[in-house]
Amino acid sequence: MSIEGQPTAGPEEQGTRPASTPSTRRAVIVGGNRIPFARAGGAYAKSSNLDMLTAALDGLIARFGLQDERVGEVAAGAVLKHSRDFNLTREAVLGSALSAETPAYDLQQACATGLETVVGLANKIKLGQIESAIAGGVDSASDAPVVVSEGLREVILDLNRAKTLPQRLQILSRLRPKDLAPLAPGTAEPRTGLSMGEHQALTTAQWKISRQAQDELAYNSHRNLAAAYESGFFDDLITPYRGLSRDGNLRPDTSQEKLAALKPVFGRNLGADATMTAGNSTPLTDGASTVLLASDAWADAHDLPKLAAVVDAEAAAVDFVHGKDGLLMAPVFAVPRLLARHNLTLADIDFFEIHEAFAATVLSTLAAWEDEEFGRTRLGLDGAFGKVDPARLNVNGSSLAAGHPFAATGGRIVASLAKQLHARGSTDGRPARGLVSVCAAGGQGVVAVLESL
Amino acid sequence: MTPAQPVILGEMPSLSKLYVNAAAQAARRRLLGTHDGSGLPAERHEVRGVTVDVATLTAYQHLIGETASDVLPAGFIHALAFPLAMSVMNRDDFPLPLLGMIHLRNAVQQLVPVLFSDMLDVTARVQNLRGHRAGTQVDVVAEVRKADSADICWRGVSTYLAKGVFLPGIDKPSPAPARADFKAPDPTAIWQLGVDTGRAYAAVSGDFNPIHLSVLSAKALGMRRSIAHGMYLAARALADVGPSRGDAFSWEVDFDAPVFLPCRVALDINTVQDEPGGGWRRSDFAAWNPRSGRRHFSGSVSAL
Repeated sequence: MSIEGQPTAGPEEQGTRPASTPSTRRAVIVGGNRIPFARAGGAYAKSSNLDMLTAALDGLIARFGLQDERVGEVAAGAVLKHSRDFNLTREAVLGSALSAETPAYDLQQACATGLETVVGLANKIKLGQIESAIAGGVDSASDAPVVVSEGLREVILDLNRAKTLPQRLQILSRLRPKDLAPLAPGTAEPRTGLSMGEHQALTTAQWKISRQAQDELAYNSHRNLAAAYESGFFDDLITPYRGLSRDGNLRPDTSQEKLAALKPVFGRNLGADATMTAGNSTPLTDGASTVLLASDAWADAHDLPKLAAVVDAEAAAVDFVHGKDGLLMAPVFAVPRLLARHNLTLADIDFFEIHEAFAATVLSTLAAWEDEEFGRTRLGLDGAFGKVDPARLNVNGSSLAAGHPFAATGGRIVASLAKQLHARGSTDGRPARGLVSVCAAGGQGVVAVLESL
Repeated sequence: MTPAQPVILGEMPSLSKLYVNAAAQAARRRLLGTHDGSGLPAERHEVRGVTVDVATLTAYQHLIGETASDVLPAGFIHALAFPLAMSVMNRDDFPLPLLGMIHLRNAVQQLVPVLFSDMLDVTARVQNLRGHRAGTQVDVVAEVRKADSADICWRGVSTYLAKGVFLPGIDKPSPAPARADFKAPDPTAIWQLGVDTGRAYAAVSGDFNPIHLSVLSAKALGMRRSIAHGMYLAARALADVGPSRGDAFSWEVDFDAPVFLPCRVALDINTVQDEPGGGWRRSDFAAWNPRSGRRHFSGSVSAL
């Protein structure tokens, strides 16, 4: 199948595939485990990030018999993080049934955190530094840190340094009533003051994404996720927690009519163009996910399954601050670069997992890839990058239905896609391929290619 | 002898009512003379279909340093069964005064993990009335089963001392063998316990015994300051042992000097393995006042 505007570079001009270069080896995905995602203020309202990450980790340990195992390394993170959780992942390891001699580190790349932990640990396995690893992420919008005002913070720190009573009284006298008001965390971009939804509303308008297309994508997300639950797809991917056994945001009975009846919540200052509703945007969510990675040798020695290989990944960032590109459009640039490195086109991908921050994010991404001029002027191609077959997109539902606990989304996607790829096996005599694309705050994005085993 | 029929209560009794009732009973006995029996009530008390409030569970887990998993901490089950245990000691035919009893020892067997979503049948009985050099001691046995199951998941034996109470026919044992002097090891942890420690544990356990709540309420009952709940301390030691204890374990603690609040408590946890490099067998723990060196409690968590 030929794709309009596919990269012109032939195989002889591309480097050899990193996965097959002799100096590295393969990193495989053994499986994953997550807790169901809950709407903020719901079943996990009182659970901390540490509680949820430990719950997801303990489910993974139980599923793959990792009690007392010294795993090569564990990496996870949270986007909304309390300062007391500076060593969140290591604390979760210490609270889990893993060997206490398992090292761990925290990582933070906004919503790409979960996928980046998979990429970083897979690379360590490929380099032979470790044999096994657990990647993960967690976020709680319910148990978010609340920050004291700058005025109060400075007074507290100065008080700590003061030596005499008069000094302390002098410092205390600086306090003003307004200093006592706490600051709740927001999702506004520090440089623009716009929320993520407002940023996306600008991109949505730029790419003229219709309300109907957004609602249809949201409807498909709920329908696909509900079908995946019904077919038992998540039976070996999820451990119940706090009474939830399915994602709390899932609405199996939603309809396009119901979605069409919702009022826009973002971009209302754009007048007639306001199309983004609570139905086609992801809600604030609590949850955690984990993915078990290994070398072939380690997986074989432990008699564990090998679902898929982590082939390669690419990060990108866009200059969104003054509107050159939309805040969540970095994957638009990362995917063409990643596929070009492997001499692949969109037609060579069997499953697309494009994180649904908003329905319009996915649709804007697809629109940019289908745009001839954008392909020429911004992606450096001969024409449009290509078209994604809707039947291959988010086939088991995505964030609009499941919810999006920021750092936990990458692990949710990778574990589900690896299972889906393994079930597909091969396409036209080659391993089935999947693409993961996650956009992130700060105008960033991380994308990766997985291959079935 | 066939065991007596259980007294089935419709719901978990209210601890605050039991404390009030105990105070009234103490006054009554003061007026009418002490209880003349030297036997224990044979009936066990039972509550069926007990459910757990998940918010209370989470608060308990966070307070004592357990991760908020769906499995009930062994100490949480103790707190869950405690009102029923109190109701047995609150009976008119129970020979010892409930108020002012001292918790000497606690032994728990966690046989099967219990999830917060499980419906539970809880029973409690008293046994083994016996002498002590300072008074009379008794064991309160609580058992927890999953609803409509015969298998015990959790069993706790709490030993209490009625100080200064000597009952006819119960021998005072010869003086206890002198305990080996406690020599404080290097601590593995230091706990900073604030004045609010007792109130915080009361809020998650439901045990609002005034000796734990404030200096004033403790003084009213003859204590010089409020003291930490013994089961709060023991539960924190159990949490500190961590996940290596597995799903089934026994957890024993002997209480020595009370922990007056606020204070610092030094803790040592010593892990014993099957063989060098082998699996976990047991963790022994001891806690003491780092200034005076007096031991507050000691015990162990062992594989079952």
